Amino acid sequence: MKKIVVVLCVLLVLTTSLFAQGDMESGEQLLKVGMVTDAGTIDDKSFNQGTWEGILKAEEEGLVEAKYLKPSGTTEADYLKEIGNLYDAGYHFIVTPGFKFETAIFEAQDKWPDAKFVILDGEPHSADYSEFRIEDNVVGVYWAEQESGFLAGIAAALQVEEGEFGFIGGMEIPAVQKFNWGFQQGIMYANENLGTDIMLKAENVIYQGSFDNVAAGQQIAASMFDKGVDVIFAAAGGVGVGAINEAKARAKAGQDVWIIGVDVDQYPEGLYTDGKSIILTSAMKYLDRASYDMIKHELAGTFPGGTTLRLNATNDGIGIPVENPNLDADVEAKVAEMYQMLKDGSITVADTQISGLYR
Amino acid sequence: MSTKVKSNAFLVAISAVILGLIAGGLLMMAIGSNPFEGFYYLFRGGLMSMERVGNTIATAITLMLVGLSVAFAFKTGLFNIGASGQMLIGGLAATLVAHYVFLPRVIYIPVIILAAFAAGALWGVIPGFLKAKFNVHEVVATIMMNWIAYWSIYYFIPAYLKGPSLETESRSIAIEQSLRSDWLTDFFGGGYINLGIFVAVVAVIVVKYVLDKTTLGFELKAVGSNRFCAEYAGIKVNRNVIISMMIAGGLAGLAGMTFYTGYSRNIQIGVLPSMGFDGIAVALLGASNPIGVFFSALFFGLLQSGKGFMNAMTDVPPEIADTIIATIIYFTATSVLFSRFWDKVGKRKKERNDARTAKAEAQESDHE
Repeated sequence: MKKIVVVLCVLLVLTTSLFAQGDMESGEQLLKVGMVTDAGTIDDKSFNQGTWEGILKAEEEGLVEAKYLKPSGTTEADYLKEIGNLYDAGYHFIVTPGFKFETAIFEAQDKWPDAKFVILDGEPHSADYSEFRIEDNVVGVYWAEQESGFLAGIAAALQVEEGEFGFIGGMEIPAVQKFNWGFQQGIMYANENLGTDIMLKAENVIYQGSFDNVAAGQQIAASMFDKGVDVIFAAAGGVGVGAINEAKARAKAGQDVWIIGVDVDQYPEGLYTDGKSIILTSAMKYLDRASYDMIKHELAGTFPGGTTLRLNATNDGIGIPVENPNLDADVEAKVAEMYQMLKDGSITVADTQISGLYR
Repeated sequence: MSTKVKSNAFLVAISAVILGLIAGGLLMMAIGSNPFEGFYYLFRGGLMSMERVGNTIATAITLMLVGLSVAFAFKTGLFNIGASGQMLIGGLAATLVAHYVFLPRVIYIPVIILAAFAAGALWGVIPGFLKAKFNVHEVVATIMMNWIAYWSIYYFIPAYLKGPSLETESRSIAIEQSLRSDWLTDFFGGGYINLGIFVAVVAVIVVKYVLDKTTLGFELKAVGSNRFCAEYAGIKVNRNVIISMMIAGGLAGLAGMTFYTGYSRNIQIGVLPSMGFDGIAVALLGASNPIGVFFSALFFGLLQSGKGFMNAMTDVPPEIADTIIATIIYFTATSVLFSRFWDKVGKRKKERNDARTAKAEAQESDHE
């Protein structure tokens, strides 16, 4: 037994010294931009993908060299390990999508002070929330999801005019809740001011509880459609994909059902036959724009380190897609008008559960 | 003449690992990457600094305990697929202790270990009881217990252990209440290495001792080899099935403790820990032998923790990297094939030797 221990120790020392040698290849002039994905895949049609597309755009323009890593789990330790891997490989500009990175970035900002970090949908804080601190090498980005949900709710209400809506959320986290509350306010606004007659029952506001359970999304959507819901707003990542699949199947069978997409323009995901899509419109937040802009700032030497950005209608951070083939022109015009009103502040959307809203 | 030649378990494991690495290398070549470069960075990622070595060990600790759990049940002829659920429940018990029990360190550590073991054992004993009493297949029962654990955590964490703003994970436990320890962290220069390493090593030794040197171990193995024969010999089969699942569950519970209060410091809802399944491969590669499990867990820990750096340094996309690791694991789990192969080689050799001695003897008798 003693021998084994000695042999192990020797092996350990040997291997560490062996692998500790050698250095990174040098000579690369381009900024190396890394990204660590959140739960889910890079092609999740939503959060990870949106963030990555912004980085890819910068790479395609020849501005940077990009790489993403997928952690083996979703704990702080898993995230920090991947950030460390990127750093050790020379990627010193790191983008992390999702509030789950908050505590990891809190530690990373001190551990790697010469690296730059962008955290989307969050800001760094300690694990027990006793300390919120953002160093000069970090930028936090938040979106006004409620405004995006609000616009999508109004667009859908105006298009359908009369019917019943539903909401499927992923996990009950702030970003998803704000989509939900904004969506409900949009429906209420349309009913009160724009002459629509849309019903939203409390039982049809459901948080599935994950972002990856496609089958569950399909089941929830099926039961909602069975109960007479016409339009579902699915702010749920992979769960939303299940809802989209269910709607496609029903649309093929001739049923008149719709889905409202989330985060990115999900119109292409909803295509079924003859180039028709069941995506009525999408409640977008421009993730790609945020990651791209941050890279541009870094290259120009104007990286706004130490600040938390809030993207909303006033700085064109949210909205519905430019083209919505399933919306009538007058509906789009009306939504554009509402967007202007959000921009100049003549209407505001609450980002909390004000009275009259479900969950 | 008919004595069976048993092949060396170590030889079998090494050949399986080599085949796994070759298969992984071929896959790398197939996507146009240089396998030598890939493996170089894979191993560098796990070993190039003391911190990384510590993280590799930290990953291996959990795999080791899960591997022991699965191996222990294997010995009794049981297939414990429920290690994930047992990990969750063991981890939950440990997390509760970490939040609410404040004791001097010397008493605290045994308390948290006992709590995690007991909770895991409870989750293991139920399928064991169902198997013994009603002959419900343990694979079905343990899978069901996985989901019961999954959804119980899903309910329990937000209801009772919620963090200040997040609904999806328990609040973090204080570093002093976790299994991390300053001297260990300092020694490795940071990282997630924790006292679980000692728990795992002690568990390896204890399990080895129990299986090889005690009556209980003998009975468990007898039930595993042939339960009818064991019953005929007067061994209480049902009792041993229950005990085996209880201990297997307890070991997985300890794995949960090392993961949720050592490696990570909170429990996330909606996640069934994948280590519970990786542990099956660990046990297979280790030939269900505690010492074998020790080394195969270190190997798998190295693969898991070096993967990210390989990704970062080469053009291998993360999804393919997962596939490469899975390929290596898959091929190493085929170690059974190798034991057949080496058995045959050994047999042929022995036959040849036997033939030679027989010939020599015949010649000798001719001389007389």
